[in-house]
Amino acid sequence: MPKLRFPASLSGTKAVAATVKRWLKNPGDLLAKGDLLVELEVDEALIHIEAAGAGTLGTILAGAGVTIALGGDLAELSDAPAPVTTPSATQSTPSQNKAPAMSNSSAPSGPVTPVLMPQAGNSMEEGTVLKWRVKVGDQIALGQILYEVETDKATVEVEATDAGRLARIVAPEGTVVPVKQPVAFLAASDADVDAYLGGSREAVAETTATQVVEETRNSKLETRSESAVSAPASRTESGRVKASPAARKIAAERGVDLASVGAGSGPEGRILSTDVASAKAGARLAKPASSPAAGPGGVIRRPMSKMRKAIATNLQVSKQTVPHFYVTLTIHADPLFAFYRAQKPATGCTLNDVVLLAVGKTVGEFSAFRSRIDGNDIVEHPAANIGVAVSVEDGLVVPVVLNIERLTLAQLAAESKRVVESARNGKIENMGKGVFTISNMGMLGVEDFSAIINPPESGILAISAVRESVLVKDGAIKAGRVMTMTLSVDHRVVDGALAAQFMAKLKVLLESPEQLIG
Amino acid sequence: MSDHFQIAVIGSGPGGYVAALKAAQLGASVAVIEKHHLGGTCLNYGCIPSKALLSSAELLHQLQHSGDWGVSVSNVAFDWAKIQGRKDKVLAANRSGIASLFKGRKVTLFQGLAKLEAPNKIAITSEKAAAQTITADKIIIATGTTPVRIPGWPDDPAMVCTSDEAVHWQTLPKKLLIIGGGVIGCEFACMMQAFGVEVTIVELMPGLLPGLDKDLGDTLAGIFKKRGISIHLQVKVNDLQVANGIAKAILSNGSTIEADRVLISVGRKPNAKSLGLESVGIATSPKGFISVDKTLRTSVKDHYCIGDANGLCLLAHAASAHGVVAVENALGHQKDFIAPIPGAVYTFPEIGGVGLTEQEAAEKQIPISIGKFPLARLGKAMATNHTDGFVKMIRHRETGELLGAHMLGHNATECIAAASALLQQNVSMDDVAETVFAHPTISEAIKEAAEDALSAGLHLPPRKVIRVPALV
Repeated sequence: MPKLRFPASLSGTKAVAATVKRWLKNPGDLLAKGDLLVELEVDEALIHIEAAGAGTLGTILAGAGVTIALGGDLAELSDAPAPVTTPSATQSTPSQNKAPAMSNSSAPSGPVTPVLMPQAGNSMEEGTVLKWRVKVGDQIALGQILYEVETDKATVEVEATDAGRLARIVAPEGTVVPVKQPVAFLAASDADVDAYLGGSREAVAETTATQVVEETRNSKLETRSESAVSAPASRTESGRVKASPAARKIAAERGVDLASVGAGSGPEGRILSTDVASAKAGARLAKPASSPAAGPGGVIRRPMSKMRKAIATNLQVSKQTVPHFYVTLTIHADPLFAFYRAQKPATGCTLNDVVLLAVGKTVGEFSAFRSRIDGNDIVEHPAANIGVAVSVEDGLVVPVVLNIERLTLAQLAAESKRVVESARNGKIENMGKGVFTISNMGMLGVEDFSAIINPPESGILAISAVRESVLVKDGAIKAGRVMTMTLSVDHRVVDGALAAQFMAKLKVLLESPEQLIG
Repeated sequence: MSDHFQIAVIGSGPGGYVAALKAAQLGASVAVIEKHHLGGTCLNYGCIPSKALLSSAELLHQLQHSGDWGVSVSNVAFDWAKIQGRKDKVLAANRSGIASLFKGRKVTLFQGLAKLEAPNKIAITSEKAAAQTITADKIIIATGTTPVRIPGWPDDPAMVCTSDEAVHWQTLPKKLLIIGGGVIGCEFACMMQAFGVEVTIVELMPGLLPGLDKDLGDTLAGIFKKRGISIHLQVKVNDLQVANGIAKAILSNGSTIEADRVLISVGRKPNAKSLGLESVGIATSPKGFISVDKTLRTSVKDHYCIGDANGLCLLAHAASAHGVVAVENALGHQKDFIAPIPGAVYTFPEIGGVGLTEQEAAEKQIPISIGKFPLARLGKAMATNHTDGFVKMIRHRETGELLGAHMLGHNATECIAAASALLQQNVSMDDVAETVFAHPTISEAIKEAAEDALSAGLHLPPRKVIRVPALV
């Protein structure tokens, strides 16, 4: 996939990076040589990037507000009008800048975009379509209000996250629709919708079954990948999400559904522009590679990819040979959250980075967590090299951050960012050098889960969402943020009491995070 | 008179009296203890008297330049006694204003010195009445600050003065040395120069008005120099001697400055030394400011501290805002103190600022873009001959949010309110640029500067554009 990149050098300015101000073309637009594409700013000037030749603009990789370095990726180019994407595939850390390769659809029909019932709040399971504000045949613009839906909490106006022609409504007023299921379809013609519904129903069902976690573009679980705040968005009495004017603007520009940003950091949960800016837009997900024809009874057989085979083998060995033992602990997460917010401007850290630093220090202290079985020996490793589970298009990879016991928060933030981005681009850093792994599914709203140990390591820590809950202290009830973590250990190497001590120490560090930089 | 109250406020300055009125409005029984005049520093020694004097000074300054407006005035003169007299009347009116507000809400006023005997217990002593003790469910400490004097320097209050004496000077000096070029020093310099005093400012930091955005102090210094005010920057006064009616300051760069009066405006220190904080266990910082949390509660439950006394923001309007928040918290509603506080300097031209300065953004490594609009290009400024100054707007380059606004110009202290209100709503710079300001006004420079922060200023030369093809 060819990419449009920021020039590698610029005359007329000393700047080595520029911030994108606005795009003047949209994905799907046809480009002619010389067309003005995007405006960026540096201190002393504006940078106007024009198209070098003809083509079609694909996915935008550096949106408004993103700072990119010389030579950095701006967008993808496609040869054909941008293909539509369907809900599927695992992305536990959605990235605004990474777009998986667009697959070629073999179907001759035009692109169809489903409009899905959004999940406005973590407890929402279904919604009742109350009133359609648009009708079949209308040309829908991004951000336009499509319909009103009633949930158990409130009545919500649903905004369009895609533009296009409304071709079919499949959930008339009064219908109850489960979240992430289609209520309508955008397409150039009705025939396209028929073809789409005929061919891809099986594919969607299949992927739902095989993937670990499902995320759809339209429902946009826009929780911040760094700090998975899962409190629902704060609303006014009329159901409008409370957000500042700046936040609304950025959300509209980036295609972010304000309802899924969750409670913001402004007064009374008001969403501020900084909350939206750190929420990453859902990755543009590809339709699964050309679906093989359905066999008898609609059953489809596909060979496993290399990655899928590797994951299957590894985890099966782990579960069948390693005696797993689990310890769960819930921490009071307000100090952690505040610490992360305070450190973020200077270090660029994510919430997960702070947790990773705490885990690194604790693994450094507890030698059993840096050890593995080899025959009749236990081999202890000196460094706290910790793997970070990263979800990629077809499964899961674990790049490793080395020597966390020696890193400052700023260094860790830079390194973790580097290895994660590298992993998404296909290169797994320091593979095989880890002694321990962390897996964070907090950004997906998960409250508690137990992870499978990555052999030959002796432990893995599963980190769940930072969520608002009831805290009880000295008999008094108050509201606050909590975060649940579950440790899985190999009981041949780590005994229960030691596992409990590890978690207790980790809890102390995470509840008083100033110690991490003292 | 009952001796138990739901809320007792120590001090009746802009923090204390507002807290008392708010508590009464919310239905509590309120006592205020004031050792001196109602209104505290703001009313008696600070905001009000200085602005009264400055208004006379500004009128005088304009009359001295009336020819610019085509108006000729002969015999421009002033009567210092009359100016002081007007100021005194203003003060008296304000004091009785507070007294009647208290009466209207049935706030009980105790005239005397308060001392904390034990938690929730205040002893009140005065020369005029018998000593008495009151108790209160909650106590709000609003004891303020006083100007710093330098120990070891001559303390003849007629010659070595602080702002407390300066606002009430019965005669004007010929040559005035102002030590400290912060807000108070600059306001007095501006005022006194207009009244014909030869003014010299000595400041320790590299610029006037340290603490504000640097461009403001630098531009003001240029304006002051044109008016004949001498300014010495990055210089310390090592010693001050007074003899035969002449004050002599020996500077760290070796030079000496002579004057017949000195104004020390180097800062303010908290007043709470004799309040008896130790008997209750209220914690203070090393400088003596009372430590408070976000709800303005001290280290001891039921005891709150607002205004200058807690050191958070030494401005009257901050004290009043604190007062309201502290009372809400004391009466059981949870409220944090969060609003942005604008700063104002009443020189002519005025200065107003709110939010992040350019220097703070650099320290915190926040990526920003800056928009600036000089008033010299503004219609209203040109039409009314008030062309000194500029508006500077600071925008977060990645989120687009308005982070700060800083202005020097005619009526800047009024104009900054628009920026302050917008900042409180977390608007984006685009929101500011899209706001319609009336034309012709000085405040529309805020919109112009906002446009410039977006590289889209229409009334400024176009930003340089570097146009290049993308790499594929």
